[in-house]
Amino acid sequence: MSEKEKILVMRSITKTFPGVRALDEVDIHVDKGEIHFIVGENGAGKSTLMKVLSGIYPIGSYSGDIVFNGEIKHFNSIKDSVRNGIVIINQELALFPDLTVYENVYVGHEIANSRGVIDWIQTKKMAKKYLDMVGLDVEIERLVRTLGVGKQQLIEIAKALSQDVKLLILDEPTAALNENDSKNLLDLLVELKKKGITSIMISHKLREVEAIADSLTILRDGKVITRMLAEEINEFEIIKHMVGRQIDDIFPKRPIFKSGKIVLETIHFNAYDNNLNRYIVNDANIKLREGEVVGLAGLMGAGRTEFAHSIFGNIDKYKISGGVIVQGEHIKFHHPQSAIKHGIAYVSEDRKKDGLILGENIGQNICLASLNKISKRGILNFFKQSFFAKKYVKDLDIKTPSIYQQLKNLSGGNQQKVQVAKWLFSEPKILILDEPTRGIDVGAKYEIYTIINDLVAKGMSILIISSELPEILGMCDRIYVIAEGLQTAEFNIEDATAEKIMHKAALV
Amino acid sequence: MNEIKKINPVLRYFLVITSMFRTNIRDYGMYIALTVIFMTFAIMTNGLFLGPINFTNLLNQTAYVSVLAIGMTLVIVTRQIDLSVGFLGAFLGAYVVVAVENRGTAIPLALLSALVITIIVGIIKGFFVAKIKVPSFVITLAGMFIFKGFLMIRTNNRTIPTSNEFFNKIGVGYLSTAKIGNLDMITFIMGILIVIFLVLSSILKRRKNNKLGIENESLQIYITKTVFVIGILLYIAFNLASYRGISYLLLITLVVMVIYFFFTTKTTLGRRIYAVGGNPEAAELSGIKVTTIIIIVFISMGILALVSGVMYASYVQNTSPNHGPFWELYAIAATFIGGASASGGVGKIVNSLIGSVVIMSLKNGMALAGFNSNIEPIVLGSVLLLAVVFDIYTRNVRPVDLVGMYYARKKYREEYIEAKQGLKTAKKKLAAAKKAGEALIEYEYELTNAKSQYSRIKNMIRSSNEEDYQDMIKV
Repeated sequence: MSEKEKILVMRSITKTFPGVRALDEVDIHVDKGEIHFIVGENGAGKSTLMKVLSGIYPIGSYSGDIVFNGEIKHFNSIKDSVRNGIVIINQELALFPDLTVYENVYVGHEIANSRGVIDWIQTKKMAKKYLDMVGLDVEIERLVRTLGVGKQQLIEIAKALSQDVKLLILDEPTAALNENDSKNLLDLLVELKKKGITSIMISHKLREVEAIADSLTILRDGKVITRMLAEEINEFEIIKHMVGRQIDDIFPKRPIFKSGKIVLETIHFNAYDNNLNRYIVNDANIKLREGEVVGLAGLMGAGRTEFAHSIFGNIDKYKISGGVIVQGEHIKFHHPQSAIKHGIAYVSEDRKKDGLILGENIGQNICLASLNKISKRGILNFFKQSFFAKKYVKDLDIKTPSIYQQLKNLSGGNQQKVQVAKWLFSEPKILILDEPTRGIDVGAKYEIYTIINDLVAKGMSILIISSELPEILGMCDRIYVIAEGLQTAEFNIEDATAEKIMHKAALV
Repeated sequence: MNEIKKINPVLRYFLVITSMFRTNIRDYGMYIALTVIFMTFAIMTNGLFLGPINFTNLLNQTAYVSVLAIGMTLVIVTRQIDLSVGFLGAFLGAYVVVAVENRGTAIPLALLSALVITIIVGIIKGFFVAKIKVPSFVITLAGMFIFKGFLMIRTNNRTIPTSNEFFNKIGVGYLSTAKIGNLDMITFIMGILIVIFLVLSSILKRRKNNKLGIENESLQIYITKTVFVIGILLYIAFNLASYRGISYLLLITLVVMVIYFFFTTKTTLGRRIYAVGGNPEAAELSGIKVTTIIIIVFISMGILALVSGVMYASYVQNTSPNHGPFWELYAIAATFIGGASASGGVGKIVNSLIGSVVIMSLKNGMALAGFNSNIEPIVLGSVLLLAVVFDIYTRNVRPVDLVGMYYARKKYREEYIEAKQGLKTAKKKLAAAKKAGEALIEYEYELTNAKSQYSRIKNMIRSSNEEDYQDMIKV
């Protein structure tokens, strides 16, 4: 063992939920002043472990010891762990949109006298100091609502610093960030490391791990599989340990696309955003053929999702011009309903917000977009609903104890499958998938890709919007690149490389 | 670099003020509404509406609603609602009056036991809402029925007049006066003291901000605002002083307002209420006990219901089983007119107070102007609707700098005209093609391009700032 001082040791942590052993005798340790990653598939127990560490699951709800700075600690609440200098930043940011930047830094641990009267002058002064430290240059009187996610994340870190953080835990901090903000954040972590702040980070993005990790622990099914040091880290090794099998090819093969008749075409297609007062889609000319998978690549905010929405007829906020031809017919959709009728389906990027009703069960969700198929004269037939729910659970291999399970109890990957099933049930000719594998683990991704290939084999045409270049390169037959609303390039898969695409996506 | 003539300072001042208004229209909308209402009724009643007597009356009428509205603001800020406070307030008023008038209880004792009752009620409501997670709409709806029953029991279904000096003083009494001529000096001096206090504290705040390097609003805007506020406050002081000075009702309202203003802006507990309303999960993760906060908010609401109930009974000099209906709805309406958000986290004490003045001045003004009283609720409802629609429409207002736009218009004049011309031509071509029955796609494309060009220039002008033009201005 090295001589390095260990800031944190978690010894044989076991935590069970009814029916599940979420953590099974987990041992991890983190050295002082390093950046430690915890990786694993969804449901491997990463977040649970961090919740144990930060006191969200209080002492007594798990077994095992937490040794922090050489002492055994018992955290009853998040307040306890913060008092000891352990701060967790969750995926859902814990900020207050209608409060100012400086107030957000100090909510919960206000600078106040013993009678609870806040010293605003001191608050502003200190907030400014910490915001400078994380390199965030905004007016501190602004409301957090008006800032982007990247900046909000920095405020969270400033908040952690203001609480005298020694160990910073970040749960998938870059999941919602664009490339630039992600890079900033990673640089900041390295910067903080120099100042002696230890970080633990959960991430799905293995590139990040390779870039800044000093060490990492891989979890699978609630158990520690291995611990690696910086020099041993490589992507394939990690994936192998994560999924417990070697994925030689992350993307399942399918026959090379030959040609087919055009099913969807846009001609000089534009969408003008009334709120932003600018074109978010400017002169898009795309073609989609029968049995083809076409990718829309580009950076976040390039206008790909907006493009999909405006083809799909979800145009409350937009003014649309130009032509859309669906199977040879000139059409303008004014509402998603008519797009669905014409055989277009859109699987949204934010499945929790736009795609699924989490409080309802699988059957209800699957049938939602095609209620006419299971009803007669407006009366629903619940037997049919259950029948189709069973069919899709089987077809897409959705893992659930029953079709009556509420969606919120399923894992991300399975929720995504339900979303796909919902749109398959509407029997589309054209399927638009917006970030189909966001936030789901490697195994589930593979299954989604397999589903895509099956659908294409049956003659469906698929448009994939994705921010993950490997996914675009691995799955598509043809690729359009979009940057700031403009269509900047078209590649056949043989000609496309990640570098070429990035070049066209980042430079207009 | 081509030079631009410097803007005329008077025009510049005018544009700066207008920009501020347009940028912060959400904050000023209510004041504009209030001004319009006041002016309309002043004209319709030949000045009677704003005269000292009616003005004093208006504030006295508003008192019980504003106190409720202050409590309701915090309830709504935490994403809850309290429908029970109308009848709760009426019942507590009846409780105190009956105790004093019929049973001879000493006033402090009566108030104290009412306070205990309302705190217990607040804890129960808060417990059900925050712990058991019953939606507050339902639990307080239940409370509404229950307190209506308590009110009827307490008053024995009879109107009981108040005779105790305490109720007289609160309900219809005024602070002692020292008149010189027609003017009450005590009121006037108090008004001036408040003005001095506000001006000094705002100057202090600007200086501290300066020291910390935090941007202040420009001096022009600051002075204009301050002059306005001083003018309005002095007018109110003068108006009150020319009649009977400050009523106890008004005094209580002001005291409650000051306490709650301090509470919500300067204390940890107060700020945590807003944090809980803005994002309950985040609040919990920041170490704030959401359950406790919600219970405290319901207790505070109950205490203010007690204050309000006693004020109302004293004001009308009786307690009756008919008191209570619509109080809570006036308070809720006042809060929303004051700009609180039903999705939580937003709502200011002072704005809710002004919201209640809006409501009561509509009631008062229509009565004074001789409207058919059946019209009144329709107007009230419409104003509430307008306020909410206004709130939604102004949610995404972009900051505007008219001075910058002034310069930009000069600079981009030619491009602008050209783009406008291009747009016109494209439209004409499309129309001609339509008539001729040609394929439209190319023309539509051309029109889109022209539109895009036009909106790009318009946008450029719209988003320009004065600072961008500093180097170009001819000296």
